[in-house]
Amino acid sequence: MDDLVTVEAVSRQFPLDHNYVRALDNVNLRIAAGEFLAIAGPSGSGKSTLLNLIGCIDKPTTGRILIEGTDTSTLSPSRLTALRRVKIGFVFQTFNLIPVFTAAENVEFPLLVQGFSSQERRTRVAAALESVGLSPRANHRPDLLSGGERQRVAVARAIVHRPALVLADEPTANLDTHNATQLIDLMHDLNRTLGLTFLFSTHDQRLLEHTDRIVRLTDGQIVSDTHTAESLNPNVLNPQVFNPQDSNQGASHGQVLAARL
Amino acid sequence: MAKFLLLAFRNVFRNRRRTIMTLIMVGGGVTGLLLAGGYFAFMTRGLREDTINAGLGHLQIFTADHFKRDEVRVLDSGIENWRQVAATVSSAPHVRGVAPRIEFYGMASNGTKAAGFMGSAVDPTAEKGLGFRSRGLTGRDLDAKPGGEVEAIIGTGLAKSMNVKVGDGLTLLAMTSDGALNGVDVEIVGIVNSGISELDARYLRITLPAAQRLLQSDRVTNLVVGLDSTRNTDLVYTELIPRLRGLSQEMTLKKWIDLATYYKQVNTLFNSIFLFMGVIVFFMVLMSSVNTLLMAMLERTREIGTMLAMGTPRIWIVALFMLEATLLGVMGAIVGVVGGNFLGVILNSAGLHMPPPPGYSVPIAFKVLHVPAIMAGSSILVIFSLALSSIFPAIRASRLQIAEALAHV
Repeated sequence: MDDLVTVEAVSRQFPLDHNYVRALDNVNLRIAAGEFLAIAGPSGSGKSTLLNLIGCIDKPTTGRILIEGTDTSTLSPSRLTALRRVKIGFVFQTFNLIPVFTAAENVEFPLLVQGFSSQERRTRVAAALESVGLSPRANHRPDLLSGGERQRVAVARAIVHRPALVLADEPTANLDTHNATQLIDLMHDLNRTLGLTFLFSTHDQRLLEHTDRIVRLTDGQIVSDTHTAESLNPNVLNPQVFNPQDSNQGASHGQVLAARL
Repeated sequence: MAKFLLLAFRNVFRNRRRTIMTLIMVGGGVTGLLLAGGYFAFMTRGLREDTINAGLGHLQIFTADHFKRDEVRVLDSGIENWRQVAATVSSAPHVRGVAPRIEFYGMASNGTKAAGFMGSAVDPTAEKGLGFRSRGLTGRDLDAKPGGEVEAIIGTGLAKSMNVKVGDGLTLLAMTSDGALNGVDVEIVGIVNSGISELDARYLRITLPAAQRLLQSDRVTNLVVGLDSTRNTDLVYTELIPRLRGLSQEMTLKKWIDLATYYKQVNTLFNSIFLFMGVIVFFMVLMSSVNTLLMAMLERTREIGTMLAMGTPRIWIVALFMLEATLLGVMGAIVGVVGGNFLGVILNSAGLHMPPPPGYSVPIAFKVLHVPAIMAGSSILVIFSLALSSIFPAIRASRLQIAEALAHV
């Protein structure tokens, strides 16, 4: 597989009082397209910092990051914005949905920013919501959705424009076990059926159990990079938990989306 | 674009209490401007019509020489064939009538004492036909009796100075157009109090035939033109200009506004007060809105960070905040216009009166006019103020560091 993301000798320092704190220290990492990869580590290990740098919402102090071979450090702010818009989808720990928009409107937002036609937006939003099992909740605002539903809307929003890379920062941290399991299965399903690359930070053991590759960070340095085999077992998927009444029962939600987009 | 507008609209109502407070503030400002502006408009309209109906008329015709040079002899720059000029003007549409006038100076004597006067000779029938009336008159107005004793109205100051009252006589002395001294005896039929003491100390009015006999001239100083409505002034002015070109004397046509010095001063004063109020409202809305919008920006820091992370151009964030502020301004303006007109109707129906101003003996009604131009102007003012107030918060929001904004609690 081709490298989607290349992190080369990246360090990131933050000023603190009259000193500097090194959040990342000479990190090297290659992520291939289609991977389902977790960055694990304790709080303060640099997980979120690494995700922010790969997501082009922060800049490394030294080193460089390439996305699909493009050195992001050479891009102007507007080119970086355009790259994020097209290539990257974000899922946040606190969902970060726009509270005055309905679930469908939240999912539609990235398409709106990219200038898709209204017809195209409608089709893609319907497919994305169906893929996360939230079609019946399309017109509900976030405050009327449960935590699990909100995070599934966030996932739909992150994948609706078919980005090359989906970044999820602690996506299960605010979810109970049931919702966390649903979300993990959903993301894994989308990874397999759509070939989307998922990169997430977590210290949630439930999530790590279903991950193909785990990169462990400690004090800003990669201490291990392991591939697991058990998570590749398709039996871990449990599609019917999203929407048992779905007429497409039997096909995974990711397959539904793949067929529509 | 529609979705963007929808987002802005919903954001406006995100914090309802704050939005309502802002709308009350903006609407209150507009209401205040509407009430003050409506009252000023009522006052200036009243003053305008009063000025015109007190004898100024809507248009006045002079010879061109009148404004070019001082007269060497009495009425040597007056209108010669004024009846022909009056006939030419009277046939124009919207003209109600034409009244000739003579402005002259002289001395008044009661036999033991003399005082200078500023005389105005009028045709009482033409003046009445145009609805001109004397304000603060004791006695009666001039009558157009042919022959008989000459009548006069004098100012209170002149009457006091000459120690005369209604029914008493005075001798008027003036230079004729030939340079000789002439005199006529008049009977005082009325004493007028204009409220302007300097004018009342010198004021005298007699009939046109009496003045022509005194001055030994058939000329008049000017012709006063009355129209069916003040709003037709410009229309008739344009109509009369070519008509006056074909006459033997070169004529000058003046609009009432060019001659109403006092009205212009009062109007300028009211406009200045209104402008000052507008500036206060503008800055009141501006300063309080900056605070409100900054609070809204801080509350939505993480949301803005999320939008930026998703690749939303920063200019969209600026536009969103400015759009929200503009929507708030539009809604505030609507609240203010509705509130101002509603309060105006209530005040107008309450039958309120203000104390009589100088020269008036009766209280004047307190009315608020509903002026569309003031509604539009006040609305634009607050909308612009709000849009302006959003620039700083909007730019600040658009410049947020995404990673920091996402970590904002």
